[in-house]
Amino acid sequence: MTDRDMIVCRCEEVTYGELVDTAGQFACNSRELKLRTRAGMGYCGGRTCRSLVDAIALAATERDVTQITLKYQPPVRPVHFGDLGAIPND
Amino acid sequence: MTERILDHPVLGVLEPDQTVTFTFNGMKYEGRCGEPIAAALLAAGIRTLRHHEESGTPRGIYCNIGHCFECRVEVDGHQGVRACLTPVREGMVINGGGALPSPVRDWRKDNA
Amino acid sequence: MRDLIIIGSGPAGLTAAITAAEHGLDILVIDEYLKPGGRLLGQLYEEPGGNWWNGIEESRKLAGRASSLGLDIRLGISVHNIEQIDGSWLVHADCETFETKSLLLATGAAEAPVAIPGWTLPGVMSVGAAQVMTNVHRVKPGQRGVIIGVNVLSSAIAMELKIADVEVAAIALPKTNQVNGKAANPSEVMNALLHVSHMAPSPLVKMGSKLMTNDFMKRMGITLYPKNGVRMWDIPVMLRKAVIRIEGTDQVEGVTLATVTAEGKIIPGTEEVIGCDFVCIAGGLYPLAELAALTGCPFYHIDELGGFVPLHSEDMRTPLDGLYVAGNITGIEGAKVAMSQGKTAALAIAKDHGQDIADTSLSEAVRQISSTRSDAHIQFHSEVEAGRRKLQEYWEQHAAGMRNVMV
Repeated sequence: MTDRDMIVCRCEEVTYGELVDTAGQFACNSRELKLRTRAGMGYCGGRTCRSLVDAIALAATERDVTQITLKYQPPVRPVHFGDLGAIPND
Repeated sequence: MTERILDHPVLGVLEPDQTVTFTFNGMKYEGRCGEPIAAALLAAGIRTLRHHEESGTPRGIYCNIGHCFECRVEVDGHQGVRACLTPVREGMVINGGGALPSPVRDWRKDNA
Repeated sequence: MRDLIIIGSGPAGLTAAITAAEHGLDILVIDEYLKPGGRLLGQLYEEPGGNWWNGIEESRKLAGRASSLGLDIRLGISVHNIEQIDGSWLVHADCETFETKSLLLATGAAEAPVAIPGWTLPGVMSVGAAQVMTNVHRVKPGQRGVIIGVNVLSSAIAMELKIADVEVAAIALPKTNQVNGKAANPSEVMNALLHVSHMAPSPLVKMGSKLMTNDFMKRMGITLYPKNGVRMWDIPVMLRKAVIRIEGTDQVEGVTLATVTAEGKIIPGTEEVIGCDFVCIAGGLYPLAELAALTGCPFYHIDELGGFVPLHSEDMRTPLDGLYVAGNITGIEGAKVAMSQGKTAALAIAKDHGQDIADTSLSEAVRQISSTRSDAHIQFHSEVEAGRRKLQEYWEQHAAGMRNVMV
């Protein structure tokens, strides 16, 4: 296995080559890199690969220390559709 | 094959616990009641818990504390259950998922 | 509705729960894991002076105290969203929603990876995963392992594996690429290790005191560093070898190592394969602040604290009414600091609930956090105090901004 084939996002199986090429082609920030490749959009919500995706994006863009790269969206854990309508009971 | 640490120089002797029997992918295994599914399976020498839905590559535990969801399995019909967090119980039926058909992606490959 | 919900039953969350219960608050503690204790559970190391810090025992003590106070601790429950509505907080968990006046987030840290070709193979796990398997579940992660990433956490866990009679064939660097950053640079890693000299291999430390004097000596140090590593607790710590590939078809069978230059460049022709049945990935910890990030709380990226942290005061208040933070969500530090932060947060919360908490006891608790920090045996970042000062400046700027708005 070469570096280019190395998986970065384990959930969506996005490779290092794909991420580096995309970042190089579009000078993406993390969010754009995620939207273009699906890295960080899988089952775990990017908890595992976010620092790696950030690192690739930061090669082309500056970090804004006041803005979380790769914004968090609810739900931060996968939820069954049937559980989403739960009624407060406490 | 891995093994249990029965006697630890600092943590001491592992207290005996009730043994439970469960199945994983149709095979019978034993575990310590209440330990996570992933620990029971590793003690039985099983590292592969599922195969990736698209590529079918084998996966096992990665973070072991519920963050990465790599160890998700089907337990008694419920999908997406984290083997690292879920205590093993008597009679549990556990299945590791495999590659799923991906008609949309296949169609795009040929038509888009 | 509860007075207080605490998310996370690690050292910060449990200590906060105990303190708040002692002040009469009605509390619910929620944790995703199947045991209370959080990251404390796996910790096991010998302190200078010969005492063992046994995280399982410490967790048991905290949980015992909590249960003697009748605390409601619910395990195995994942929180997926929180929102503030009409002055109270809604905590959305798997199948239930809980309501509370105050909310303390003590969700700890997550592990950041380094990426190596082959790292999705079964048998590759985060270093924390191996620690939990070994010390908490008492199952060996394998017979013989290689740890990728040389840092405080990986050295501590390497020793724990060794104590449990699990062979660690090597601790080595990850290969250089765009995602592995400083972790793949021998000079940077050596420099970082010298700042935590009590955790670094002792021959290195002996060399280190000389090496710290100037950059030239530091470069010399890494150039002269033995290719086969320096042994620490009989485990080779390799700063001049990097894992370039994890080998195996269905699961881990070994790793390929190569010698690297002082800057981490692979020297062609030096590749060698060593056999192992498990691999640990050690990229360090970052604050797990996802729930705080859903609230609109301001965040700042502070390297010394391990990443993005929610803005908070010294007494663990966030700018949002009724929202507090404690433990590694505020920056990566040891369990004892987390405990003192938990206590402080609980006192601030009790005070905000109208309990009679003297200003002096709150300021004493804040002072206790600093003294615990300076006495800490394990420091994840050498400049953690500078990081804390930065955050405090942000807090003061924020508070000044709010005052201006009110005027």
